[in-house]
This record gives sequence, structure tokens and C-alpha cells, in this order.
Amino acid sequence: MNRVKTTQSKTGEIIAYSEGAIRNNISAVEYCRTSMAAISGCAAGILGLSGTLGFLFYFLSVFVLWILVLVKSGTQWRKFFINRRNLLTNQFMGGLCTYVLFWTFLYGMVHVY
Amino acid sequence: MGSKLFNKLLLIAGFASLAHAAFSAAHHRTYLRLTEQEWNSLPLDIILQTVISLVIVIYNIIEIVGNFKEIRATVDMQQKTWDTLGNFPSFYSFNHRGRALNPGYTPPE
Repeated sequence: MNRVKTTQSKTGEIIAYSEGAIRNNISAVEYCRTSMAAISGCAAGILGLSGTLGFLFYFLSVFVLWILVLVKSGTQWRKFFINRRNLLTNQFMGGLCTYVLFWTFLYGMVHVY
Repeated sequence: MGSKLFNKLLLIAGFASLAHAAFSAAHHRTYLRLTEQEWNSLPLDIILQTVISLVIVIYNIIEIVGNFKEIRATVDMQQKTWDTLGNFPSFYSFNHRGRALNPGYTPPE
């Protein structure tokens, strides 16, 4: 028996959600987010970005990933996610730490040594 | 299945292109250092190669990983009628007393 949680839509109808499916979708997005942080950090290091420009590049990457995930979901994103904004803001600082790690590492590899 | 293979090949190509851009950038810095020039920015082709590789890699990771599932638990149920919901084939019973209605029925002795 799958555990479900419910919300009430605008028309008053109660919608039951499958917990397993929600976890599956969120873990897939988290995997994409961590990969995005690592790879965009590598790209920022290669490009030699520094200071504010590097952080702006991270924000741009997060936004691009958000757009790509919504494009992947199509016009029926409600079938897969409850809230679109959480998709953009979840794990933001964690991804930033991964980003800074790869950014400084690749910058050192390419531009310093 | 073929689509996943295509995405994985594109992913490998994206990573290879990113590594090549890194090598080109390092090579460019070494050249500038040897000729004692000031570094302002990378050449445009390295910048474009890095950005395009980044977009290719991110897109293909989403294509490979993003097999999203339907989160509404009752969507399957909405397609079925009450007759279907009450239908349990495992509990069908064919060996019952209705056979006594057969004209050729002989009661067991």
C-alpha cells in the first residue's frame, strides 16, 4: 500500500499524491542539480571567471537547469511536481558549495599552474 | 533504448569537448606566460566551446535521468468503472450447483 498525501485544489477537489513517485521525481532532479553544479563549476573555472561574475554564472546555470527540467516535463508539469518554485530554490546553497569547489579547482588547474 | 544510447554518446562528446576546452585554455595561458603577455580574456572560440559543451552535457543528463513519474495516486483509478473495480478473476467459481440445471445431469450416487 503506497502512502499518499493530499492537497485541495481550487475547485475543492482533494487530490491524493503518491509518495514514492514524488520521491522518485525529486531525487532525479537533485541528481541533475548536483551534476549541473559540478559541470558548470568546471566551465566557470575553464572560462577564468572570478568574483561576482562567477556567482552570476551559477545563478544563470540554476535558471537554465530549471528551464530545461520544465521543458522536459512539458505543459503538464503538474503531473510530476507539486510546486514549480520549489524546483528552482531547493538545495540552492548545497549546489553553490559544489559549484565553488569545482570552480576553484579548475581555475587553479587551468589558469594558475 | 536507442534514444538513451544517443544521449549517452552526446554526453561523452560533451565531456570530451569540455576537457578539450580546458586543455586549450591551459595551453593558451602557457603561451601567454612564455611570451610575457598580459592575460585579458580567453579567445572567443574557447568560450563558445565551453558554453556549448556545458549546455549539451546538462541537457543530456536531464534526458537520461529525468524519467518522471505521475505523482497523482488516483489517476489510474479514474479510468476504471465500478464493474472493473469489483472484478476479481482469481475468485471466479465454475464448480457450483448450477450444473444441476443441465438436462444431462446425473446426480452422484
